Amino acid sequence: MFGFIVRRIISTIPVMGFVALFVFSLLYLAPGDPAAVIAGDQATPEDVARIRAGLGLDRPFLVRFFEWFFRVLQGDLGTSIFTGLPVSQMIAQRIEPTLSLMSVTLVIAIGFAIPLGVIAAWKCDTWIDRLVMSLAVLGFSVPVFVVGYLLAYTFALQLDWLPVQGYTPLKNGVGPWLTNLILPSVTLGFVYIALIARITRASMLEVLQQDYIRTARAKGVGQISILFLHALKNAAIPIVTVIGIGVALLIGGAVVTESVFAIPGLGRLTVDAILRRDYPIIQGVVLMFSFVYVLINLAVDVLYTLIDPRIRY
Amino acid sequence: MDRRTFLKSAGTAALVASTGSLSAPALAQGANAKVLRFVPQANLANFDPIWGTQYVVRNAAALVWDTLYGVDENLVPQRQMVESEEVSPDGLTWTFKLRPGLKFHDGEPVLAKDVVQSLKRWAARDPMGIMIVAQQQELTAVDDRTWKWVLKKPFPKMILALAKNNAPCSFIMPERIAQTDPFKQITEYIGSGPMKFNKGEWVPGAKAVFEKFDAYVPRAEKASWLAGGKNMLVNRIEWVIMPDPATAAAALQNGEVDWWETPIADLVPVLRKNANINVDISDPLGNIGAFRMNHLFPPFDNKMIRRAVLTAMNQEDYMRSIVGDDNKLWKNLPGFFTPDTPLYTEAGGEVLKQRNIEMAKKMIKDAGYKGEPVVCLIAQDQPNTKAMGDVTVDLLKKIGLNVDFVATDWGTVGARRAQKTPPSQGGWNMFHTWHAGADCLNPSSYTAIRANGDKAWFGWPTSQPVEDAIVEWFDAKDVAGEKVAMDKLNKSALEDVVYAPTGFFMGYQAWRKNVTGVVKGPLPFFWNVAKA
Repeated sequence: MFGFIVRRIISTIPVMGFVALFVFSLLYLAPGDPAAVIAGDQATPEDVARIRAGLGLDRPFLVRFFEWFFRVLQGDLGTSIFTGLPVSQMIAQRIEPTLSLMSVTLVIAIGFAIPLGVIAAWKCDTWIDRLVMSLAVLGFSVPVFVVGYLLAYTFALQLDWLPVQGYTPLKNGVGPWLTNLILPSVTLGFVYIALIARITRASMLEVLQQDYIRTARAKGVGQISILFLHALKNAAIPIVTVIGIGVALLIGGAVVTESVFAIPGLGRLTVDAILRRDYPIIQGVVLMFSFVYVLINLAVDVLYTLIDPRIRY
Repeated sequence: MDRRTFLKSAGTAALVASTGSLSAPALAQGANAKVLRFVPQANLANFDPIWGTQYVVRNAAALVWDTLYGVDENLVPQRQMVESEEVSPDGLTWTFKLRPGLKFHDGEPVLAKDVVQSLKRWAARDPMGIMIVAQQQELTAVDDRTWKWVLKKPFPKMILALAKNNAPCSFIMPERIAQTDPFKQITEYIGSGPMKFNKGEWVPGAKAVFEKFDAYVPRAEKASWLAGGKNMLVNRIEWVIMPDPATAAAALQNGEVDWWETPIADLVPVLRKNANINVDISDPLGNIGAFRMNHLFPPFDNKMIRRAVLTAMNQEDYMRSIVGDDNKLWKNLPGFFTPDTPLYTEAGGEVLKQRNIEMAKKMIKDAGYKGEPVVCLIAQDQPNTKAMGDVTVDLLKKIGLNVDFVATDWGTVGARRAQKTPPSQGGWNMFHTWHAGADCLNPSSYTAIRANGDKAWFGWPTSQPVEDAIVEWFDAKDVAGEKVAMDKLNKSALEDVVYAPTGFFMGYQAWRKNVTGVVKGPLPFFWNVAKA
């Protein structure tokens, strides 16, 4: 197992190198000019050209790529074109809100989706099953921002239970931290609940047909024990897989959710950087996300062995 | 300790810890009243008002850096950091003296050498500064409070140049910071303005914080825009960046923010219904909508075709596409200058007062239009440019031009409009934008009105009458002379169609009723704003 983990981590290096080259090339080819944005609307073409030269954006592609690449190898993600701040500092400023949002979303999603999926499988073809699956279809179909606005309107504006926007760091207390995260996490978790609930139901239905479940019933084991101790453990592999895949969905969804709830996270940092063509930030964030994604896949693979001892690497 | 006791103890400890943080004391009412939460028009992505000339940077900079002079609400320059000035009878030597007791946020006194270095940096980037430098003999500090600017030729608009609120303003920085190359960003944000910038709390894209500078010495006069006493009645101003207008509206209604600079027209009715919110015009100088035609390539290298487009335009269509049905927010603009200001003129504006599609078609035919595609860049991520672009495309089709609609984003338009290559090779024929009315009061900072060919703004118009009129305005010694020059300028700019003005429009601002002292102006003025 240890050897497998080491091999997988080493294999991320060429993946990261490829991602770096791909992202850099894509940004180089994309239209847009940060110098024009910095200079402002009244700037003359000469002003724009001088700012471009000052930023080093007038140098050849390969020179810029290798300079950036060697800096990345030394752990330096560069400096934001606009703010003049180190990209690593800007990512560090933004990582806590995004991690908090994703963690609370995962807890809410898993907490709701797995029981819902199990119950839907147990009550297959009843109104309960149909209700759960209808909710799942709704979760898939309604855009994140619509859910966000509806929740904010109801729970913040009408009932005044929760704030509309913003983020309070964890160091200021669990209460304020959680208060700010409930609405965005529920919003973001809506799709995720739908996804996990559907997979859980499908996987459970398959397992519930197995002989050992029938045997357990025959032995008089209680329904709850059958569902959550016997069946769920054996249905867990696809569920864990979809949770892993879903983290990528969360990263994408965080962009919209952070904008709707004005959370200063990595999603908003990325969108702002793309709109302004702040290349070092885009490169830094994409590189980091791709690394995180590789690690999540690795964690999922490792979890397989813990859930199912038959799996060996 | 057995396992159960341990778990109970740990659980109790965790509960106490979490409830402890849950019950953290709320800010006292008085302290909260001293914090003003403001939603600006855009993200404060950088904070160098000379390097980056976006309005949002200028607006934040006006809190941190003071200016030598400031324009008041009557558009008249008034002394601000300056105590007195003197100009020699030949108009060549300007001698200025600083007010006593001015200090930077690091405690150092503001000296003439700081002013001289700041003016050098500003003059490298500002259109009027460049004109002054072109006539400059020397700019030197005479003593700690006095400096002189010696010119080769009189420059009657000197005070206006130092007072204007158009970006870049001549903000005064410590000498060591002002020595930074004007095309590179400063990294220290030390000014002598009424608020200090809290760099430690700055999260670009999310938050910027300003704290009251206790050693600031406000002028005794009543505050009026950038002039007069800048008395700060709050201790802390937090700029909260909200990219989503609906969120900003909800936050304002919920009392999570106090003042929103630019509510969108669609949300204004909702805000008006809220008894705790005031809504009013934000900037009486408003904005001038525009589209620019590329004078270098067919079909718009032909003046008659440019005139035909003006002939076919109906500004009401453009303005309603931006502001909707609110008639208080827009005006027809048969010219290029901000309405209701001293030098406003409609000379030569008849072409924009009466739409005539049939005549436009005939003009295009007579001009020998060969069906060349008109590459029209339309930024979809800017509601104003998208709305105007849609109207233009419809208009061009109506008069028989072959439109190539390029839907893109503002970042791409910003880069592509600088291309002087033919439209078929990555260039363009037309793009939409708008200009702040504060920039369009006169030719002093009006880059878009210039028609000096290669050196002109994007579209690169060439018109000697326009350039002559601009020079005449700069040389005018009184308002009457300025008005004559402005008439000539408006007329010739319409004649040669430097660009196409699509109308004058304004926007709203909204603030909670426990906030007082909010005024209308070209930027948000935070001095004398209080929160109950």
